[in-house]
Amino acid sequence: MTTAGVETLPLFLSSEAQRPIAWRRGAPVLLAEFRSHVASVVARLPKPPAPAAMINLCEDRYKFLVAYAAALSVGHTVLLPSSRADQVVADVAAANAGSYRIDDNAVDAALAQPSTDSINERIPADTTVMIGYTSGSTGQPKTFPKLWRTVNGSNARNAQSIRAAIADKTSTVWALATVPPQHMYGMEMSVLLPLLGDMAVHAGRPLFPADIAAALAEIPRPRVLISTPVHLRAIVGSDQQFPEVDAIVSATAPLDQSLAAAVTAKLGGELVEMFGSTETCVFASRLTAGEAQWRLYEGVQLEPRDDGTLVNAPWFVEPVLLQDMVELQPGNRFVVRGRSSDMIEVAGKRASLTDLTKRLLTIPGVQEAAVFQPDADAVGTIRRVAALVVAPTLTAREVLDQLAAGVDSAFLPRPLLIVDSLPRNELGKLPRENLLRALRRE
Amino acid sequence: MSATQTAGERELAELIVTALNLEGVAPGDIDPEAPLFKTGLGLDSIDALELALEISKRYGFQLRSDDENNVRIFSSLRSLAAHIATNRVNG
Repeated sequence: MTTAGVETLPLFLSSEAQRPIAWRRGAPVLLAEFRSHVASVVARLPKPPAPAAMINLCEDRYKFLVAYAAALSVGHTVLLPSSRADQVVADVAAANAGSYRIDDNAVDAALAQPSTDSINERIPADTTVMIGYTSGSTGQPKTFPKLWRTVNGSNARNAQSIRAAIADKTSTVWALATVPPQHMYGMEMSVLLPLLGDMAVHAGRPLFPADIAAALAEIPRPRVLISTPVHLRAIVGSDQQFPEVDAIVSATAPLDQSLAAAVTAKLGGELVEMFGSTETCVFASRLTAGEAQWRLYEGVQLEPRDDGTLVNAPWFVEPVLLQDMVELQPGNRFVVRGRSSDMIEVAGKRASLTDLTKRLLTIPGVQEAAVFQPDADAVGTIRRVAALVVAPTLTAREVLDQLAAGVDSAFLPRPLLIVDSLPRNELGKLPRENLLRALRRE
Repeated sequence: MSATQTAGERELAELIVTALNLEGVAPGDIDPEAPLFKTGLGLDSIDALELALEISKRYGFQLRSDDENNVRIFSSLRSLAAHIATNRVNG
């Protein structure tokens, strides 16, 4: 039901009952069946005046999609913790009194009881449909709410930039994603596009090259692989044979031109790289094998600042300050010139070194800590963070185990060395070369 | 006390430490029955990918993760070494 005067936008851009929306258990799921699955989940959601925020922990992408659509249909907000580490999820739950969790088992239980109810498919444009989190200071993740009209705006441009890379301009695009739906990039590409674009998504999340090849072979063409530099590097490095792919999408970390070319040589399709963040969603793209500059989506404005770059677009709620330093170029293009030094990126996930250090210091027994990112020792190697910790009564293992409860595994320091004291200089500061020397145990 | 490593487990332990730059971990000290991921050695999916590449180079077969065996195969050095012994085609 919509109230007169409230602007609404559809839940499905194409509401044709026979259009495919997903690939599950070796067969397409058509919109008609998807609707009935959504209705089954809606029937089990908390009813008003109960809380209206869902923490969607589904691992299976199809079940995530069903639960997400159910939440949208009844006006609930979906919360996306920055990882599924216990403490991270608990922090988000604590910040949203009474929010409820849903997982694969809960969706299975709902689907076991089919519903013939119709679902609401007109979503008020100003509904807060999801809140992304980035790891902030201890216990207080930073929040990034997204309205339905906001995600509709960026999604339309995502759909365009993918379709532009595919020769077939009319058939439904079939997508396979190696990223989790909870990550903002995974949400945009593997959840929103099936709802709002002419795309159907594979329910799986394959990890190894052999898994990715097998899942790709299941889905019809044109097919698109939604992935990251980490997975693409593994694909290029493996001996695995792949079925032909019509386009490859990459985001989360910069992809170098030679890897982009190697991916295209191996898989066939053009590589479309997306630029965005949890704060902004995707707002630019490039065809990496042939161009170094990013192309802004139509309507996006960038304003370089001393401390980063202010991003705005007609579909944003307000301008967003990113820590990336950019240089504007003619024709709505830009290049990235670096990032403010506190923010680090490992395998596409971002965290603040200050925050990681704070988390270490909250562990009983830890007296002092320094977290930093050593230089990559070779092109293509994942750059982890390293830590020096003063904790006379603890082993490195004990510190790591405690840290693991609240920090995504990508940011667990490797190595984490227990030292007698931090390598401060005579001014009491910690120069980078001192940290690196201590790491080499010099 | 940790259980004793077999020769195959020792070779795999050395490959893991080298491939993943696990500074400060002695291959011989990895408990063959302790978990490799999360607790235990604290490896994650990025490590799993790098490990899969090294294993395919050294032992000539591709790891798969899309069945229930995944959890079992990666549960410890011992189970991963056993999986390799069953599937290796060279090396």
